[in-house]
Amino acid sequence: MDDSDEALMARVAQGDERAFQLLSRRHLPAMLGLARRILRNSADAEDVAQEAFMRVWTHAPRWRPVAQFRTWLTRVVVNLCLDRKRRAQWVELEAAGEIVDPTPGASDQAETDERARMLANAIDQLPSRQRSAIILTYGEGMSNAQVAGVLDTSVSAVETLLIRGKQNLRRALGHIIDEDLVR
Amino acid sequence: MTDDQLERLLENALKRQASAVDEAAVDRVLKRLSGPLPRQKTRLWRLPSVLLNWEFAPAWPRMAALACCAALGFVVGIAGLDRPFDRLDAPLTVANHDVSSIVSEPDSLMGARP
Repeated sequence: MDDSDEALMARVAQGDERAFQLLSRRHLPAMLGLARRILRNSADAEDVAQEAFMRVWTHAPRWRPVAQFRTWLTRVVVNLCLDRKRRAQWVELEAAGEIVDPTPGASDQAETDERARMLANAIDQLPSRQRSAIILTYGEGMSNAQVAGVLDTSVSAVETLLIRGKQNLRRALGHIIDEDLVR
Repeated sequence: MTDDQLERLLENALKRQASAVDEAAVDRVLKRLSGPLPRQKTRLWRLPSVLLNWEFAPAWPRMAALACCAALGFVVGIAGLDRPFDRLDAPLTVANHDVSSIVSEPDSLMGARP
């Protein structure tokens, strides 16, 4: 039996819950990771992933395979994440800092974590489309064409978003980032 | 910091976040998804999808069919379907009988229509 994403979606469109479970198991970890990278909040990421897959189920009869299923699903997740970030601009507990662990080697780890958190905060401050382009390119390892498909824009626009995003990151991080982060 | 270094930094930082997604979170969401699912949205009206699927690119068989229809329309319009081609020069007869008594004007006194 053909178990490609498109074939499974065709079965989901006919109300096949088993196919829906297969599709969910296949794509949920990646979508959860993407939502977590954008939202930087585990609970919100789980909510978004659930909502995205609920949309897969409810919209399956209307879905048409004009693009790859994965691209469409990524677009749904990115849009839901951006909507959620737009709605609620609260400060996350993760951004409030942590108590330093006194064990040997913990200070180095804490320093690395702190810098990684600064970088994550800087990414978080980027305009939504620049942030999405940065996360999809460097976090998901997508090509510019794939990112263009997800963001519903052209490849040249994605390149511009990436250039501007990196310029903004450099400006935001300034002297903080140095060689030891590059490992 | 060079562009390559910034890109490696971004990759490392973002991939580190990705590895933090645990199986427990995946299982939690899967469990929530395995509950009773809502009703699916079916297509009640197909026109929007038909319009979305409409292809405006020229298809040569369709163009040829359109040209044939246009040519046929021109010939019919010029020649007419009521008279054969070999009698086009014959005088046009409207009626074989006197139809002048047939009027459709209302009666001048009563206003009655025929």
